[in-house]
Amino acid sequence: MKTLLIFILIISFTFIHCNREEKSTEESDRVRIALVLKTLNSPFFIDLKKGAERAAELNNIQLVVQAPEREIDVEKQMQIIENLIQTQVDAICVSPSGSRELLPAILKANQANIPVLVIDTRIDETAAKEQGIKTVTFIGSDNYQGGKLAGEYAGSLSDKQLRVAILEGIPGHETGDNRLRGFTEATAAYANISIIASQPANWERDQGYNVMQNLLQAHPVIDLVFACNDLMALGAMEAIMAAGKLDKIKIIGFDAVEEARKEIQRGNLEASIAQHPSEMGRLAIENAIKAVEGQTIPEYIPVKIELITRQ
Amino acid sequence: MIQKTVIHYGRQFGTALGLVFLCIILWILTPYFLTFSNILNILEQSSINAIIAVGMTFVIITAGIDLSVGSILAFSGVVLAATLKAGVPLPLALAAGLAVGSLCGLVNGFLVSLGKLPPFIVTLGMMSIARGGALLFTSGRPISGFADSFRWLATGKFIFIPMPFVVMLIIYILAHVLLTRTKFGRYTYAIGGNEEATRLSGVNVRFHKTMVYLLSGLTSAFAAVLLTARLNSAQPIAGIMYELDAIAATVIGGTSLMGGEGTLGGTLIGALIMGVLRNGLNILGVSSFLQQIIIGSVIILAVLFDILIKKQSK
Repeated sequence: MKTLLIFILIISFTFIHCNREEKSTEESDRVRIALVLKTLNSPFFIDLKKGAERAAELNNIQLVVQAPEREIDVEKQMQIIENLIQTQVDAICVSPSGSRELLPAILKANQANIPVLVIDTRIDETAAKEQGIKTVTFIGSDNYQGGKLAGEYAGSLSDKQLRVAILEGIPGHETGDNRLRGFTEATAAYANISIIASQPANWERDQGYNVMQNLLQAHPVIDLVFACNDLMALGAMEAIMAAGKLDKIKIIGFDAVEEARKEIQRGNLEASIAQHPSEMGRLAIENAIKAVEGQTIPEYIPVKIELITRQ
Repeated sequence: MIQKTVIHYGRQFGTALGLVFLCIILWILTPYFLTFSNILNILEQSSINAIIAVGMTFVIITAGIDLSVGSILAFSGVVLAATLKAGVPLPLALAAGLAVGSLCGLVNGFLVSLGKLPPFIVTLGMMSIARGGALLFTSGRPISGFADSFRWLATGKFIFIPMPFVVMLIIYILAHVLLTRTKFGRYTYAIGGNEEATRLSGVNVRFHKTMVYLLSGLTSAFAAVLLTARLNSAQPIAGIMYELDAIAATVIGGTSLMGGEGTLGGTLIGALIMGVLRNGLNILGVSSFLQQIIIGSVIILAVLFDILIKKQSK
């Protein structure tokens, strides 16, 4: 009885094995591209994914989208890339969770001869060069320019004194650092603007709420809030609403996600900087295909960026 | 006695069977799973969690829990990184990192054994303290870029086996000897089985409990060494929620949260199950939301299975 069972098992496995081989050769004709994001629980990355999926459909390629559960989990993102290398994808598009931390994973892709396209957040390019790590291109918006745009808009709001509180992203993140630098450098040109607080809320909505609540306690008068992404801006908006100060405090966000656009129309948020994540996703896939085909691609592919206000 | 041994190994065998079963399913589903390079890949990826789970196993055998391992990992990692960056020779820097982990563990141990506080509360507090310490120490910035001699611990190979797995195996062998062949190991089981009886039979329970928590801090610090070398960077926000992966590996491996029983072999298999599962789901291209549901279900099923077997053996 037992031997029979084992025999049947072996037969069925062999059958499955053969079956699978056939299927896989059929599938391998299509180009397979992996898109590795920081997370999939933020509207920005969901839009990016949608743009990529549409492009993948149009170009008739196979797209694999993966992301760690938490945005800050670089080690998981590295594992994902290692695992994708095992499946011999033709190209990897990645939005790095850490500008330096992800370099070892990209190096592994290099060794496997899989082209890597960096999207949304830059890797540390000097460190990459030192270690001989190669990426095909960077596709993304200039976060520094975006921050500057926000800062200049803040300056144009009023001639009166503006006390500004800033909600930062995760410290040490290229994206957040550049937005912050753009904003502070632009506002430095205006004598009436003073930055009275700058605290990290780690990109998250609930932390935006909590940090804003604390800032409101610490600083009785705040005129303007700049949040380095919309989720934190929306969290801050709720906290300010709860404190009944929404008419006194203007909020500028970043990313112009759908919910933020609605709040801008309602007048609850002042402005946001629009990146075009779905455009970023489309460009990522199109250029990845070019890379697989061996075409040359510019080192930097900018994605447009613009200020969104009520008008 | 003989029956007991059979049950003991039978349960470990059950977990191993689960691992084999999981591998067979993945082998059927994807041609990329059972390749030589992917197996090495899984061993490398599982090492960090497996090392944290060593200390966790000791702690859980004493019927305790350690929630602070992820934060201790981050704290030891940044101290190690900072000392390396300051030009301190590698052995000294390693010692500094390991010392920080051990120290955090020692504080946990003191508070649990002398302060008679519940381990859940003590290590919950330490989770926050060590995380804050790591952030304060670095002003929130990661420290990155190390010499190849250090990075070799993660990138190097012994013949063809990835170094992290080699380090992990050495730690497991040493810890296994400690748990099964020494007085310390026997007392660890005894404390978890019946703490009061152990104390009355003249064992210095306070000392041994303290040492168990110190050991957990130490293994977290060892994991920090590998993680830092692997990412070529130490982040103060590293290791968030790693405690849950380590606890999962331990309980999947058959260690009882009630204390008194558990083996390191089981824990190692538990960690490998977690690693294989993550790897397999990635390779299959399963949506990351679904992955979380599957991983959660496997943890619950594994423990359920364990309890059923235990009932039967009674």
